[in-house]
Amino acid sequence: MGQKVELACIIDDDKIYVNLVRKIIEIKKLSENLLIFKNGKEALDYFQLIMGNMTEDKLPDIIFLDLNMPVMDGWEFLSEFIKIKNNFEKKITLYVVSSSIDPRDLERAKSFNMVTDYLIKPIELKKFEKIFEKNNAA
Amino acid sequence: MLNDLQLNSILEDFDIAYWKVNLFSKKLSWSDHFSALVGKPGTNEPFEYFLKEILHPDYRYDFRLYFDKLTSQNEPFSLELKLKLNNGKYRWFECRNLKNKDHSNRETAVLLFVNIHQAKRDQYTIEENFFYYHETAEMTSTGGWYVDTLHKNIYWDNVTKKIVNCPIDYQPAYEERLKFYAPEHHQRVLSSFEKCEKYGIPFKIELKMLSLHNKEFWVRATGKPVYNEEQEIIGIRGVYQDIDENKTNELNLQNSLDIIATQNSRLFNFAHVVSHHLRSHSSNLSLIVELLKEAKTEADKLELLPNVVDIADNLDTAISQLNEIVNKQSLLSKNRRIIKFEDALSGVMASTSSLINRENAKIVAEFNALEEISYISEYLESILLNLITNAIKYKHPGRKPVIYIQTYIENDKEYLEISDNGMGIDLDQYGDKMFGMYKTFHSNPEAKGIGLFITKNQVETLGGSISVTSTVDVGTTFKIKF
Repeated sequence: MGQKVELACIIDDDKIYVNLVRKIIEIKKLSENLLIFKNGKEALDYFQLIMGNMTEDKLPDIIFLDLNMPVMDGWEFLSEFIKIKNNFEKKITLYVVSSSIDPRDLERAKSFNMVTDYLIKPIELKKFEKIFEKNNAA
Repeated sequence: MLNDLQLNSILEDFDIAYWKVNLFSKKLSWSDHFSALVGKPGTNEPFEYFLKEILHPDYRYDFRLYFDKLTSQNEPFSLELKLKLNNGKYRWFECRNLKNKDHSNRETAVLLFVNIHQAKRDQYTIEENFFYYHETAEMTSTGGWYVDTLHKNIYWDNVTKKIVNCPIDYQPAYEERLKFYAPEHHQRVLSSFEKCEKYGIPFKIELKMLSLHNKEFWVRATGKPVYNEEQEIIGIRGVYQDIDENKTNELNLQNSLDIIATQNSRLFNFAHVVSHHLRSHSSNLSLIVELLKEAKTEADKLELLPNVVDIADNLDTAISQLNEIVNKQSLLSKNRRIIKFEDALSGVMASTSSLINRENAKIVAEFNALEEISYISEYLESILLNLITNAIKYKHPGRKPVIYIQTYIENDKEYLEISDNGMGIDLDQYGDKMFGMYKTFHSNPEAKGIGLFITKNQVETLGGSISVTSTVDVGTTFKIKF
């Protein structure tokens, strides 16, 4: 086993979903800490703040990004995040997580290099564990 | 002088057969060529045999009559008739008696049978072709025309005159030739005719023409250059085909197609939104089920219960929202009627009075320029309701909401404008998503993201459009074109 995921990040406006994922991560001890943002704007503000302070230890190892959110949706977040991502040395794995099964969304997500995979909700527990394991191994 | 043999051979070469008739005995003898054409008479009575077997029944009566007159009064005759040949087919012949210049030789008459089948057939073909041409021209409303570019003259045939709805004796003037085309197509007509006249380029274009009484109609105009022997262009010949009915149908069809395409894409969008929205709740349920399986103690299980309650509530809300949308969409069958804006607004204000009072909202309405409209009243009230509650929901935190509503007419179109002094929205960022479903731009817990979607649908369903202008911290204006 590689090192354990220190910090995971969820960007999602669905409170129930976030609660449940938080529980899974707790029960399975998948990550030490968890960052939660309820839309793209809040997450982006956070990353811009880190960029200013260069406090890289506050950067997540893994991001789960929802698409459909108010204020700033997942797509807008992606196109903004691309612009600042190279300022960080740390490798950040990003998964798009959505309940949309629209093939156009899938295609569009794959067109971003930084998107590791497109996960369709609901994500099974085992899948969650695998994703974290894979990230550890990397 | 030719002898009989030579004469015979000449006659045969020209496919001319003959009878010799003895005027006294009424006996007749057939030339060899005649026998060769129709066969030898089967009886001793060649005349009766001829009438019965060779001559087409239609001509029996006439032929007997003429023949009797010839033999009794030596009266000359000429008759076109059909004979049945050896091969059983009828052919056209002209039958006439050879003129007897020599009065001494009066006991014999000669009847010539000249094969005129080809000529007769050509004549029929021409008549037939003319008939078909005429019928086709009439049936397809295709009129011919000729422009004499040398002498600056225009010639129209009768069908063209009929298409243009002018009298048969009407003579179009060259100088006025453009007045039969719709003004917006003048340029196209001029350039097509000019290219044809100067460079010999044929054309086939669809045009709007004007009848003599200025009624618009669509034609397909085809034109080709006419050359003289020196290969110079001396005119343009062509046809107008009246395609007004087709063109109108085509335009209507295109129109319906556009409407269907819009509705289809709206439906498609709707289906995806529905599936997405319902899926997000069902996927949460699946997650809970998985967690329940993992839960080790009763307490862990009980802890999950409130989530199930939340999901059930959310699912219920989502479904009733979708239901609301479908209900509003299906009002289509309702009829338009004249509605006073004042009445619609007071209805809406009555039903939102608690919200208006709570927020101390001020609503100013100005309907003098356009007091009423033919619309579906439920739609108009729903539009007003959505935009007014929207304006109040997204009020500026530091101001009391003021909503200004006005109607007016501009370029013969009816407009409704609703402006507020609210928080505004950054249209560069959200403009294109404004009217989408479940698009919310503020972290406002009351935002459901279906109001503007419904409003846009209602406006578009009745053939109108809605647009928005906004400035952050200043306010928003929605403009509806009915």
